[in-house]
Amino acid sequence: MLTPAELVWLMAAVAKGDEAAFERLYAATRAKLFGVVLRILRRQDLAEDVIQETYVKIWNSAGRFNPGLSSPITWMVSIARNRAIDIVRKRSEASIEEEPAAMEAIAESPDPLARREMTEELKRLLECVGRLEPDRQKLVLLAYYNGWSREQLAAKFEIPVNTVKTWLRRSMMDIRECLGL
Amino acid sequence: MTAYSDDHIALAAEYALGTLDADERAQVETMMSVDKHFSAMVEAWQHNLGVLNQMVGSVEPRPEVWDKIRTAAGLSEPQAPLVLPETPQPLLPVAPEVTAPAQVADTSNVVDLSAQVRRWRNVASFATAIAAALVAMTAVGVYRPDLLPDSIRPKPRTQVVEVPTPSPTPPSAQYVAVLQKEGGSPAFILTVDAASKNLTVRKVGAAAEPGKSFELWLISDKLPRPRSLGVIGNDDFTTRPILAAYDTDTINTATYAVTIEQANGSPDGNPHSPPVFTGKLIETVPPAVPAPAR
Repeated sequence: MLTPAELVWLMAAVAKGDEAAFERLYAATRAKLFGVVLRILRRQDLAEDVIQETYVKIWNSAGRFNPGLSSPITWMVSIARNRAIDIVRKRSEASIEEEPAAMEAIAESPDPLARREMTEELKRLLECVGRLEPDRQKLVLLAYYNGWSREQLAAKFEIPVNTVKTWLRRSMMDIRECLGL
Repeated sequence: MTAYSDDHIALAAEYALGTLDADERAQVETMMSVDKHFSAMVEAWQHNLGVLNQMVGSVEPRPEVWDKIRTAAGLSEPQAPLVLPETPQPLLPVAPEVTAPAQVADTSNVVDLSAQVRRWRNVASFATAIAAALVAMTAVGVYRPDLLPDSIRPKPRTQVVEVPTPSPTPPSAQYVAVLQKEGGSPAFILTVDAASKNLTVRKVGAAAEPGKSFELWLISDKLPRPRSLGVIGNDDFTTRPILAAYDTDTINTATYAVTIEQANGSPDGNPHSPPVFTGKLIETVPPAVPAPAR
């Protein structure tokens, strides 16, 4: 992975229509974005579609990236993740059949971060998440990583959907206060 | 900044977290389009929660995805597709007893020209090979790291395919070095683009021990001491424009070496271990004018 500063530089070049920079940006970030969306969609074909749409959007709207507000990778992940979640929410009634191969790819990828490799922002957030009650910590992290809906979370935790709603809301407000937003 | 109710704040946060249903998501998107402060709040949440992506493992998409993106985005210079033959061989063969590379006439080893309907950009594409019996520094090949799948697919020989090009931009020379322990498996593969002097390191061996880092050095008799080319990251690829500071001759004749340094690299610009892996560059794609296959 390139450094955040290198990615910012690439993003600026992409915003000017530099195709070589776009290719480098893709090479540097595709595996992260694909890992994120595959974990949510659990289907190789759907994940590839989302990656394609995401990078086309990045190519067309790189100029809207504001380095003062976010990092390139987080911004790009947000685009990909939003698209993936839109898809799973719309398909939720006809629930997506998981692909064993896709599941394997996910299972093989560990959470690869030693603490020293985390950014300060991630450490801060994890500290705040860590202050939540254990069940709510899991709730928030599963929601983020797996893109689960309240209904899926309710089933997983064996609690009513309304309780999930309350927990999520309370957790978000606690995190907000903890982060000093 | 507008003061928002807790309901609005929670809605923005849950949008970023991803737990809203389809209707609520559409509602948030509508609100974002008409209220830039609300939009900024959502984006702030997306960033604050989005740092969690650092803990998600990477998964390589198939190379075809990039072709689709190029087409969909309307990029002007499609690339030559590189078709690598399937091979049953593992990434790093564990058969050091083998003393000679297998001689195999493999006609499947081609760059797929027939699929080519768009303009060619590259003059030459290479299929790459780390031969089964790679003992010394013999592996060469192509190297388009961005097109290759997760593993490098070993092949018994190297083949050059010349392709006529209408492109006004001649490709630059490509150099490859395989860094390895004496008699050991390749640990790092360096590729250098002669024109941009971009250096890409692909890690194919083990990761550094905890608390240690692999650091790459350029050793040249034109220079009084080894020059650091930086710490090799834990990702599969590390790309740097760092060679721009050196002239082509120095780059081409230097020995590249990897040492084990403390985490984040040597503190004083000098190596603190003997070179663990070393190698030199080999030219794999000649510049501009097509040359005969070797």
